[in-house]
Parts: sequence; structure tokens; C-alpha cells
Amino acid sequence: MTGGGAAGRKEGIFEREPARRVFAVELKESRIHFKEGQDEKSPTYVLLPTGERCNRVFIAGTLTEKRRQGEQNMFYRARVVDPTGTFFVMAGSYQPEAMQQVARLEPPTFVAVVGKPNVYQAPDGAALISIRCESITQIDKDIRDQWVLDTAKATLDRIDTAGQTPDGERAKREYNIDPALFRKVAYEALTQLKI
Amino acid sequence: MDISEAAERISQKITSHGHPADKASIESKLTRLVNEFGVPPAEAERTVLNELAREFSITTFQAAGGPGDQKTLGQVQNGEWVTVECKVVALTSAPSPSIAQAGILADNSGAMRFVVWARANAPALAAGKWYRFESAVVDQYKGMLSLKVHSGTTVTEIPHEGALKPAITPIRDLSPGVVCIRGKVVQEWEATHDRILQSGMIADETGGIRFVMWKEEGRERLSPGGVFTIFYATADEFNSRLSLTLNPATIVPEEGDIPVSTGNASFQGAFVHLAPGSGLIRRCPVEGCNRVLSRQNYCPVHEIQPQYHYDLRIKGWLDNGIETREILVQRGETERLVEMNLDQARELAENNPLGMDEVFMKFREALLGRYLACQGRVIENRMLVSACEILHYQPEQLADLLNRAGGSL
Repeated sequence: MTGGGAAGRKEGIFEREPARRVFAVELKESRIHFKEGQDEKSPTYVLLPTGERCNRVFIAGTLTEKRRQGEQNMFYRARVVDPTGTFFVMAGSYQPEAMQQVARLEPPTFVAVVGKPNVYQAPDGAALISIRCESITQIDKDIRDQWVLDTAKATLDRIDTAGQTPDGERAKREYNIDPALFRKVAYEALTQLKI
Repeated sequence: MDISEAAERISQKITSHGHPADKASIESKLTRLVNEFGVPPAEAERTVLNELAREFSITTFQAAGGPGDQKTLGQVQNGEWVTVECKVVALTSAPSPSIAQAGILADNSGAMRFVVWARANAPALAAGKWYRFESAVVDQYKGMLSLKVHSGTTVTEIPHEGALKPAITPIRDLSPGVVCIRGKVVQEWEATHDRILQSGMIADETGGIRFVMWKEEGRERLSPGGVFTIFYATADEFNSRLSLTLNPATIVPEEGDIPVSTGNASFQGAFVHLAPGSGLIRRCPVEGCNRVLSRQNYCPVHEIQPQYHYDLRIKGWLDNGIETREILVQRGETERLVEMNLDQARELAENNPLGMDEVFMKFREALLGRYLACQGRVIENRMLVSACEILHYQPEQLADLLNRAGGSL
């Protein structure tokens, strides 16, 4: 799948981009973003520091805050917190369904979010990453805990295979972050769950 | 093609009908057509023969093209003129008045469809007999070869010793054409057309293929779960998917059972997208149609249908972080997953200003972000779900992952 891009797709069969499982701390460190192919509609990816390209994410956590902004182009900014840090989620007028879903939610509550990560340049030069929301739904703690297991496993899998993939090599070159850090992040996230 | 040979063939055909033939004049006509007008020799031969046939009012004339090499059915290729000796294993109804007979021919190397044109004036072929077809033409439609018996083809019945031994093809290796398989009827589907007697899936240990049997006198439904050897069915391709038509076939029920692979698969992942067309839907009431109606109760085939009936379903995507799978869940499993039955959904839609959209939104709240395990048949990345359950947190996974994460700290 990774490294596949447009050329690797079977003709005529639509392949949906998978939603990666990633902890807030790792997503926050991601700043490399690129586009595969020349088309206007070619997918864009964010390169995760553990070495996988990511066009979409699936996250679960606690909605702690939501804020309505803008007058004509109204949109919502929301903060979703996982055991490692905070995701910044946005839902604008291009995602009317997601915006209505955010409007109905009252923080604090557990939510699951599917969306696309975007990297922005802050005025001070720092890279900021936010998730453009495709859908956000209220969930219970059971699902949030499943997500922590799922995401810890996905993170460990990425660390273990990064040495064998082109995206893994690239992440190592571009980020210069010791993968052991994310192993520790996964461990600490897991320790917050009940046995 | 040698022009004098062609002229010889023409004059023989004319004289065989008791008319005089001037070979020199025939030859000069051919030469003129070929050399001056650039007509392909085979076409020139046909033109001259037709002209003379009209002149002498011969209706049963023999056209040209040369007899072609004698070949077996397994050897012939698209566009060839051939001579073959084979058995008529099935006759099917002629779909058009310009066709006298249609059916399936076989020899020990293979089988293919054939068509006898009404204008060919060929003798009526009988199923089960062997014939020699001299100067027939092979053509191709949708990847399937077919033998055309035309006015230039000489058909003679021939004696044949011994039985035909058709080769059975594993279902996975099928390609368009006439095929023989041995398989088990693993599924029977609701008919989507009132001319369909039965449709479903037949499978052997290498894979499965959809089949259809059209209503026709003397045809009976295959019993689900039964094993059958099917001789000379036609496999055709539609939307790059093969389908078997059983009407021309000889179907022999077999004893016992065989192992099958039906493409049954399972997939686990998070439900990440609920697609339009999920929730409460209206279906076309015309018998055998059952298509989903649009908001205006419009069926793509039967137009406006105010007497629709309701149904529930889920269309959406599961995602395990590496791969995605489109799923389609029918009413039974849908009711269980969303904990809402059809009557409750109808009531909700009827008493709510948003109508059916309200049901869609309830589905979305109930499903998105949930981890599901689904089982079903996969066709082109889409799973038709037969069983599905919502997964729950499993503490035993935690211990394993803690060990894995902490192992090298």
C-alpha cells in the first residue's frame, strides 16, 4: 500500500485512502507534506515521523473545547485530547455535515474523528498541523480504549518496519527523531488503560 | 490467392448447377477487381460468384474464401476460415429470423458457439450428431469465439466412433467461451428479472462464479447445496466479471459433496464512512426488480413507483489503518447493529421533519468510529456482509502490547 500511489492502483477500482492511527504527539511532530502525482486531484500526504505516509487519520479522544469562528465563512475549531497530547480539529463550510455534527456535541465527551491532516506554516515559521474533519461522532470509553490499543499497535508496527520501506528511510532522514521516543509514548499511553 | 485457382473454383460451382462457365471471362473479371480496383482476392471471388449466381438464378450458391485449413476447435482463431469436424452438443433458440440455428459445437479439444445463417441454406443440424463444416468463418464477440455457417460453407454429416471427453476447467481459470465445470451451488439469489429462473453462485475448490438460468421449457432449478457437472455452458464477461449462462448446458447431478472456496472473507476495522443510500430506503415493487428508488420514487427501469416498499441497509467503509473495505449490510444484520428495526425506522421517518435523513443520521451516530468484525463474500473490494459484530475492548491485548512496547525500553 505504502509507496503505491496512483500507479499502484488497479484500473477502474476505487481505492479509498486508509485512515492511519496516530497519537497526538507524533502527529504534532509531522511537518513534511507532499503530493503524489501531478493531477489536481492527486492525494496529498503527511509523512509521519515513524515512517508512513498519511492522507487520512482516525482518532479517538476527549472533545475538550469547541469554538465557532468567522462570520461569513463560519467554521469550528475543536480540541480533541488523547493520552499523549492534543489534536486540533477543524470543520468548515466545505464539510457541512461535520460542522453540524460538531454543533450538536457538548464538551467534554468522547469522540471519534475521521479527517485529513493539513500542515500550516505559522507566522513565526513553526509548522502547525490540524485535522480537517470528515466526520465526528460521540462514542463511549470502550471505543476510546480500543483505539488506544489499536494506535499503540500501529505505532509499534511502523517503528518495526520503518527500516525496510522508502517512506521509513525518508522519515529517518527528514526528522532526525529517535523512534524509541514513540515507543515510549505508546507505552505510556497503554499504562493509562485498565487491565 | 491464385486467381486462376479462384476462377477454377467458381467455374466448378457454376457448372455443378448445370450452367455453362467461361473460365477466361471469370479470370479476367477477377484480375480486374484485384489488380485495378484493389479488391481483396477473397472478396473478389465472392463478388464474381454472386454476380454469376444472380445471372443464372442460383440461390444455393457456394461462396468463396477458400475452405481454410482443417483444424480442431481448440486451434481456431478469430477471423479465420476453417474446416472443422465436430459434434453439435446443444441447440439454442435462434434469437433472430436471420439465424436458422444456433447452439454449441464441441470436439475433444474444446467447444464454441455456432450460428447458421438463414441464408446459408444449410441442412438442419441435429443435436448429438457429428458434422464436417467446410469453409466456415470464426469470429469473436465479447472475447468469445463463434463459428459462423454461411452460404459458402459445406456441411456434411459424418460418422463418429467413441465418446467425446470434455475437459473440466477449474473455476478460477475460466475465460470467456464455452466451458465445462464441476461445482456446487453455494448460493441462490433473488431474481432481478422476471425472465430469470434461477441465479446464484456455483463454486469449486478454486473459486466461485455467478450463474444464471433463464426461463425456458424443460429447465429446472438446481438444488442449492447440490454438486453438478455442467457441460458446455457459456461464460461471458460483463464489467470485467465472468458470468455463466446455463441454458445451453447439459447438467448432470453428482453424488456426494466437494470442498469449495467462495471468496468468503473476514475483515476487521473501524467504520469510517457511512455512504449515501444507507439507512431507510425505498425499493421498486415490480416483481424481480427490487432496485432502490430515488427521492422522487423513481426506479431507473420502471420509472415512478408510488407503491414502493421500505428496507434498511448499510453501505460504508471499514478501515484497519492499512487497508479499506467497502461493505454492504442487508436488513437483518443492519437491524442488529444499529438496534433499530424497520418499523421503528419508518416511524422515526414519518414523525420527523427530516424524514429518511433522520434515520441516516441515527445510523451515522450509531456506527461511525465503531470497531466491527465482518464476514462475507468479497467481489472487487466490496464485501457483501453475511455476519457482523461490534468489537469490544479486550484487556488481554493490553498485556501483550505493554510487553511489546516496554520490551526494549
